[in-house]
Amino acid sequence: MPATLALADFDLPTRSASGFLLRWIVPRLEPVHLYSFLARRLPFQLSAPQSDIIIGMGHGDENAFTGQNEALILEVGRYDPREVEGKIIKLLSCQAGVALGPDLIRNGAACFMGYTDDYVWVCDADLASRPWADEMAATSLMPVIDGLNALLDGKTAEEAFEIELEGYRRNAELEEDELIRACLEFNRGNAVLLGDGSARVRPRPGLALPFRILPPPPIILPIS
Amino acid sequence: MANSKEEWQKYQEALRRGDKEAAAEYFRRYLEAKKAEGKGGGSRPTLVNLSTKAKDYPNAVPLEDIPRVIQEKPEFFELLRRMAGK
Repeated sequence: MPATLALADFDLPTRSASGFLLRWIVPRLEPVHLYSFLARRLPFQLSAPQSDIIIGMGHGDENAFTGQNEALILEVGRYDPREVEGKIIKLLSCQAGVALGPDLIRNGAACFMGYTDDYVWVCDADLASRPWADEMAATSLMPVIDGLNALLDGKTAEEAFEIELEGYRRNAELEEDELIRACLEFNRGNAVLLGDGSARVRPRPGLALPFRILPPPPIILPIS
Repeated sequence: MANSKEEWQKYQEALRRGDKEAAAEYFRRYLEAKKAEGKGGGSRPTLVNLSTKAKDYPNAVPLEDIPRVIQEKPEFFELLRRMAGK
């Protein structure tokens, strides 16, 4: 079963977060990735039913997860349960853990990981074309990447979740910048895992050596 | 001028009190203190979030604009209050 990866990339926060997913996660997954203009409802409807894992990054609120230009992808009560049934779902998005996450579980998702409040971090706006090079953003986003990599290595959802939380804790301990540390502690406090913590997905191959050494080319798509 | 750590603590206390004007002022002083101490990373540090347009605050706020947005956007102030913790 392939993965469904939906990545918005149209403004600074989605550019920053998608950059890390493009750098460290995309090369491990089978195509097609719903990146940028493909991060919309219809491609998601076509792709999700066949997947064992859904990874989404985009703006969200308590009831909805959105894609490119805030196009609705998942909203409470407005999707087919076949799109989520049996899957592990990770949404890097604000507040989806409040109502959307529980709704996904009620509709058969094996497990949901997300956040119950805003997801916040500090990034460098001058690195929008090479977001993966942003060390400030990495402090908050690499724990997410480490958790996702653990899932793709075949670890359980609970293990992957703990890896992400430990990443926030460890980075907060080392971080001198008070605002960045506040973001880490906030995100850590709002992270939730719902459903079956023992769920796991088929392990994917590790990141091939060229991808470990060479970053992607600069992103030339404009952002608003 | 107090050091950046002290200004940050005053900023957090102002947030917890719900004092918008004081929080804005102490955050401004915090940034100035950091600059004087040679701290701070990145050429354009920006606080970003993944909330939808339904919120009244921007998804990307340059740090130097935070004092202004604290005073103009009540929901942004509430977000920073939640970040300050109890």
